[in-house]
Amino acid sequence: MNSVNTLPCRNSNRRRLNRRQHTLLTIALAATLLFVLLGGALFLGEEGLSVNLNHRNMPPSLAYPLGTDWLGRDMLARTVQGLSLSFGVGLTAAGISAFIALVLGLAAALGGKRLDTIITWLVDLFLAVPHLVLIILIAFVFGGGLQGVIAGVTLTHWPALTRLLRAEVLQLRSAEFVLVSRRLGRSRWWVATRHLLPHLKPQLLVGFLLLFPHAILHEAAITFLGFGLSPHRPAIGVILSESMHYLSAGSWWLAFFPGLALLVMVRMFDILGDNLRLLYDPRSARE
Amino acid sequence: MRKEIALAVLLLGLAALSAAGCGGVRNRAERAERPANELVVAIGGEPEAGFDPTTGWGAYGSPLFQSTLLARDHNLTLVNDLAAGHEISTDGLTWTVRLRNDVKFSDDRPLTAEDVAYTFSAAARSGAVIDLNNMKSVAAVDGQTVKFRLNQPQSTFVNLLARIGIVPRHAHGPDYAVRPLGSGPFKFVQWDRGQQLIVEANPLYHGQQPYFQRITFLFMSDDAALAAAKAGQADLIAVPEAFARQEIAGMRLLALDSVDNRGIMFPFVAAGGRTKDGHPVGNDVTADLAIRRAINIAIDRQALADGVLGGFGSPAYSSSDGLPWWNPETVIQDANIDLARQILADAGWKESGNDGLLEKGDLQAQFTLVYPAADLTRKGLSLAVADQLRPLGIKIDVAGKSWEVIQAMMHANAVLFGWGSHDPLEMYNLYSSETRGIGWFNAGFYSNSVVDGYMAKALAATSEEEANRYWQKAQWDGQTGLSARGDAPWAWLVNLDHLYFVSEGLDLGRQRIQPHGHGWPVTANITEWRRKE
Repeated sequence: MNSVNTLPCRNSNRRRLNRRQHTLLTIALAATLLFVLLGGALFLGEEGLSVNLNHRNMPPSLAYPLGTDWLGRDMLARTVQGLSLSFGVGLTAAGISAFIALVLGLAAALGGKRLDTIITWLVDLFLAVPHLVLIILIAFVFGGGLQGVIAGVTLTHWPALTRLLRAEVLQLRSAEFVLVSRRLGRSRWWVATRHLLPHLKPQLLVGFLLLFPHAILHEAAITFLGFGLSPHRPAIGVILSESMHYLSAGSWWLAFFPGLALLVMVRMFDILGDNLRLLYDPRSARE
Repeated sequence: MRKEIALAVLLLGLAALSAAGCGGVRNRAERAERPANELVVAIGGEPEAGFDPTTGWGAYGSPLFQSTLLARDHNLTLVNDLAAGHEISTDGLTWTVRLRNDVKFSDDRPLTAEDVAYTFSAAARSGAVIDLNNMKSVAAVDGQTVKFRLNQPQSTFVNLLARIGIVPRHAHGPDYAVRPLGSGPFKFVQWDRGQQLIVEANPLYHGQQPYFQRITFLFMSDDAALAAAKAGQADLIAVPEAFARQEIAGMRLLALDSVDNRGIMFPFVAAGGRTKDGHPVGNDVTADLAIRRAINIAIDRQALADGVLGGFGSPAYSSSDGLPWWNPETVIQDANIDLARQILADAGWKESGNDGLLEKGDLQAQFTLVYPAADLTRKGLSLAVADQLRPLGIKIDVAGKSWEVIQAMMHANAVLFGWGSHDPLEMYNLYSSETRGIGWFNAGFYSNSVVDGYMAKALAATSEEEANRYWQKAQWDGQTGLSARGDAPWAWLVNLDHLYFVSEGLDLGRQRIQPHGHGWPVTANITEWRRKE
């Protein structure tokens, strides 16, 4: 994840939209997508997911814009359901992950040398093992399924953000206003909540937004590999792994549209996070 | 993140390309270039443990390198192969087999009764796969006669005589499994694990000389096999149903009938018990005969065969449809929702809430159906059955699990299993009180003393006809039985067709009803295969 270092700024004259407008547009698009997803998941309901053996393996048409699968299930309904499921998992996992990162980041920076060493060691440990392997292990320990996936993704995505927040707090700790507060006899808790937290908000928000697409991709990845969500749930990973059996049979639409939808969603939140980061960063905010 | 996205785009593009691109290369020339008496097939079936019959090789299809005492012909009737004849004592405990005296191993040494006795004792010692627990002893009486003694009478013992290939005592060393030698129609040439097996005709074979002098078995994924066939590099491939609609120039689709069945096993007893390992046993809903009967009658099996299997399958009503020990009376009129409703209503199941679910007392007509998560066909069948039964007021929660998890769940939940054997012993294993909770057999703890009685008589029978009569009665005797007309401990759904693409010129002879396991069983009559001139 490239959330920490700043990208070299691009020539803004060539762009028709400046970054703020661009960001607003992405936010609008993301909001629309979410609205469509939630609405779709509610309105399409179970109807499109049921088996219809008379309409198997149909390519995209007016009646079935994304085609049907080998059991005659509407791929549009399945894709929408899958994305909203992914969205829920991503939101929960990224949220908890960001929260863990905040707590550990604060604790490491404020809690004394020994605690700092332990947390830094933990961060290094988690960063040293490939995410996917860890997620599979954790998901397995938690008994698989929805809780397994959420636990797996949550427990593997906090270290990078923790490290970032810890560095930020270390820097803030020696700022004058903090030192003055300490001299005036304010407690650590008071300093942490009144002085440090407000300064960490941007990092936290951006960190959360950048964790989100990551979480979704990892959810899809381990579900695809068969360690994640139950295989009869319409998750994108399940849809994609099923479609592999039918690629050689020419059913390209089974993989193409759900894969594309996942890609668009992930990329959108990625852009959103990146732009927000540049806007928050005083060095690039006025470009 | 950027890298991952680029990768995703690339993969997506590749997927689209591979889907759009296949059907491109059509190379008939290459198929024609091979000498007519050489054959390349890709039907899977590579044995993990190698080609040693004493550790399980050759259960179905041709053992290639070895031959068996008896064999089944295309009607599944037993005929002599190495044996010249066999007798069973009246108590069913002693089996005497006389051998032909003209059989030689491919190293030119004669096959004697000593080799047969050695093979069966080695197989019994290994304990792997082959169930020889009931064999007390085996000994060579003279050079041409072998005597088997059993602990209990077992008419199905004859299937073991037709299944275990005889290995040479003088050449059965530790590397036998990777360098097999025997009296079969083919000689071993080369095995590259995970890639290919090459065999050549055995000139000393005692039976009909095979037409093909050299056969290469390719071991590859379904997709790779399809690509090989399209490129003209394989004469015969096994394909999943998903590929059946493909057109391959110079090849035709062959759909073989099978008893490779799929069905739902119901827990037969009420909930509350536990196995020795602590797994729960029983299910209050499926323990109700009315529920099991109604499900059997309501399911539209033809729709499942047409829909989920794309027409490449047939309705199944028992575990042994079409086999000599099958009772045709087990066929019921299904897809009859009204009759199913009536059965449930008579048994006291009523719709009380507005969720459309039937209830009886404080019991709801709802249970979980488990299937192995990786199996698309079973997943499709489970989902389709759940959909078919919802209008009846029975709600099935479908769950895909790994086999390890299923093993813990299978005594208390319905499971979508697949069986299908050329040995009636399978029926005993699935339905006998003796096999309750043993391995994968009788996981639902089914038990009926009348059925047990018939099956005991079938095992004690000394002729196949007599045994078959009792097997049939165990299924349905007019009063009770293990089939859907009786206790209905299973709802059998479909028999899968086994699908192959075959070169236009290749004649696979008369194929028999195929057992469980798509691929290798097609080789059972491999010596009859030939190219049409």
